[in-house]
Amino acid sequence: MFGAGAMTNSIPEIRDADLLFVIGSNTTEAHPIIAMEMKRAVHNGAKLIVADPRAIWLSEVADIHLQLRPGTDVWLLNAMAHVIVAEGLADEAFIAKHTSGFEAVKATVADYTPEEAERVTGVPAESIREAARLYATTRKAGIYYTLGITEHTHGTDNVYCLANLVLMTGHLGVRSAGMNPLRGQNNVQGANDAGATPIYYPGYQSVTDPEVRAKYEAAWGVPLSPEPGLNLNVMMKELNTEGIKGLFVMGEDIVLSEPNAGKVEHGLNQCEFLVVQDIFPTETMRYADVVLPATCFAEKDGVFTNSDRRVQRVRKAVEPPGEARPDWQILCDLARAAGYPMPHYSGPGEVYAEMAALAPKFAGISHERLEQHPEGLHWPCPDPEHPGTPTLHLDGPMVGIAPFQAVSYRPSAELPDPEYPLVLSTGRTLYHYNSASQTLRDPGTVAKQPENFIEVHRRDARKLGAGNGDRVRVHSRRGEVEAVVVVSPRVRPGCVWMPFHFPDQLTNRLTNDAGDSVTGTGEYKVCAVRLERLSPAPVA
Amino acid sequence: MNEPETFEILVDGASITARAGETVLQAAARAGIEIPTLCHDDRLDPMGSCRMCLVEVAGSRRLQPACAWKAAAGMEVKCETERVARHRVHLLEMYLADHAAPATPEPLAPKNQVLQLAERYGATRRLPALEARREARADANPYVHFDPDQCILCARCVRYCDEVEAVSAITLAGRGAKTTIATAAQTQLLDTTCELCGGCIDTCPTGAMREKKPRSVVELAQPVKQVRTTCNFCGVGCQLDLHVADEKVVKVSAPPTGTTLNDGNLCVKGRFAYDFIHHEERLTKPLVRENGQLVETSWEIALKRAAEGLRGVEQRYGAQALGFVSSSRCTGEENYLVQKLARAAFGTNNCHQCAAT
Ligand code: SF4
Ligand code: SF4
Ligand code: FES
Repeated sequence: MFGAGAMTNSIPEIRDADLLFVIGSNTTEAHPIIAMEMKRAVHNGAKLIVADPRAIWLSEVADIHLQLRPGTDVWLLNAMAHVIVAEGLADEAFIAKHTSGFEAVKATVADYTPEEAERVTGVPAESIREAARLYATTRKAGIYYTLGITEHTHGTDNVYCLANLVLMTGHLGVRSAGMNPLRGQNNVQGANDAGATPIYYPGYQSVTDPEVRAKYEAAWGVPLSPEPGLNLNVMMKELNTEGIKGLFVMGEDIVLSEPNAGKVEHGLNQCEFLVVQDIFPTETMRYADVVLPATCFAEKDGVFTNSDRRVQRVRKAVEPPGEARPDWQILCDLARAAGYPMPHYSGPGEVYAEMAALAPKFAGISHERLEQHPEGLHWPCPDPEHPGTPTLHLDGPMVGIAPFQAVSYRPSAELPDPEYPLVLSTGRTLYHYNSASQTLRDPGTVAKQPENFIEVHRRDARKLGAGNGDRVRVHSRRGEVEAVVVVSPRVRPGCVWMPFHFPDQLTNRLTNDAGDSVTGTGEYKVCAVRLERLSPAPVA
Repeated sequence: MNEPETFEILVDGASITARAGETVLQAAARAGIEIPTLCHDDRLDPMGSCRMCLVEVAGSRRLQPACAWKAAAGMEVKCETERVARHRVHLLEMYLADHAAPATPEPLAPKNQVLQLAERYGATRRLPALEARREARADANPYVHFDPDQCILCARCVRYCDEVEAVSAITLAGRGAKTTIATAAQTQLLDTTCELCGGCIDTCPTGAMREKKPRSVVELAQPVKQVRTTCNFCGVGCQLDLHVADEKVVKVSAPPTGTTLNDGNLCVKGRFAYDFIHHEERLTKPLVRENGQLVETSWEIALKRAAEGLRGVEQRYGAQALGFVSSSRCTGEENYLVQKLARAAFGTNNCHQCAAT
């Protein structure tokens, strides 16, 4: 957004905010230490608006909780924009100076009245008005969001709607404000930054830009493909249609983590050749032809880039087990085995230097320099004298003129119907992490959450005749999974929620692999399911 | 941003600059003057209960707590007078009388600040020890251990749980000499709102709150080294100190408050979920599939097979039939190398990390 796909503001700024608008982020569980900063801001008197279908922890201390129906974010956000326009709260000076396309947004949101929005989203019109006013009239007002916004077939639309709110209120280039996607995993940002994306070389330089391509061809000594690649969601689908016949997978159990696990498994069966590089046996490995034992973070050097674009060092503390090798070495060896003359780097520091020399955004960052900066360096950091950039856009949007994007509501790909009457959303819990290959190997996290569960509203539980601790089978069009019922006041009637951490009861057998048209991100947040009651749990 | 208003105060005869709203302790700390504290933690609202930080303030008959006393223009403070020194020794002797030294000193335990201060100010176990007065209760949680005999009731753990973690799982319970730290309804910690963040352990100045884990991991006979690194779980990017002994990570702690973005804090995963590092199920040998089974092999063979297999697909179907899935769990350098492998070695842009969000 506005020239950089990352948090516009840094994490330590949160404590000084006057308003936090948290949407689609269960921050206390997914980003506990960012949540601490939010708690501190609230402790210091900041207002808190939470938009989430579930009554999450933060919503309990929020000034306003917008408990919308899953998948109706565009309605909610356009209605907030409607109020801001209608009540003259837009920052006209900012809009005139820094943006384009506001008229189109104005025209689109004219139809999104709070009353209509109430009908679609289930959020009272008055709450929408109040939230819009509060957000528009507070200067240090930041938006924080995560997968609750992006894991939809209209995820990109949701993000555009948020960006529209930021631009029309001028909450950009202001400390403790901005637009802040919180990254789910330690190095999501860093992996994107490093070019592990089908459309960019490192540092967000397009693979279709001939000048950029020429630069990399010169540096790497081979001709490079001008064709943008396939995103992960499409790659998974093409395994089934035999577009993809060979796969290399590093550090990821795609059977567990990708939506519609049954289809992924089918695709892997079709795949002619699969290499898996990982630290533990995984489900994906069952399909592998070659398995390469790798190292965990404590066994190697390098950098991670966190949610706020902060590059920080990873340092080797212990030796890898057995014959396991650092991933960077394996990758270099594999390239050489395939006949590509990968340089004999002395270590990750030299790899970083090669990347930085080719990507202006990180040109000023090096392992040596990070030794002098225990708090990390924020990119953009164009030269070795540059202090890094904790807050973006302080001198106006980096792109120069930031475009508004008018967006209309599109329903989620799969909506409830008589056969599958409930809406399932999935997410993270505090105690586990992704496919839990690490956290299911620790006694405390397991004591807190030993197995898969499903949060069900009282009304739906009664209909089913199931109570706390009863086992149910959850069915979707794609698969079925067992789970233990937690009757929870946190979910809306008609909605259920499950974590995706447990490999033997794999929630992603249920989820929909319909992907966002731009990013390919799967629709983990909305799919239709039905519950079948199994015998009550045996009495312990 | 408006700079806060500043003014001068006198501390032990030296003029230092204080900012409006600052306490005497904060102003002194910025000027490099150390005042001893026990119940103070920068992350918490001042409580002023332990009396360790009492100093003389001109115009005030009684000694005043530097951690809670707001600095004011022209204020004159004395930290190193006879009277203050006497107070410190006396106070520490009272704490010592009510404070058992740990039976077996633990190499990984943080420094016990009561014992440290007693040594610094020359306090001894002159007063008779009080009866052991607080009941110890067994608690099944795997991470947090509480030893009431070492507790000085500074309430830092309770306040941390309240103000920072904001879940209020523990509280001061009981009255008078029986006062102790407990869960609100006297339940097991796992049955409360506790999120096992370990912040109570981190803030405890005496080691009364301590980790259960490290003791079970190794009998430490050798020095522990600390390695600063970045947490490998979520996208916050907390800094961690890995404590390493005998080639094993035996404990994780947060760098001091005020030095990194996590400000001394960690969550349950960052602080405690490190057993996976040395878990017996880790992969230790390359594997290749032979007759349908994955079998152990050498690196040389595994790499050759991997390279040939991928090249074979490329030759049969073209580079577009190859896909490279990279990992947001791996380092930036490794992600750089995967995309270089895909693009330069195999000629395809079909390279994506596992979490596009
Ligand atoms: S571990 Fe954290 S949540 Fe649990 S009692 Fe201690 S401070 Fe509170
Ligand atoms: S310690 Fe917890 S909050 Fe911090 S980076 Fe690790 S997982 Fe995230
Ligand atoms: S540190 Fe000031 S009273 Fe405890």
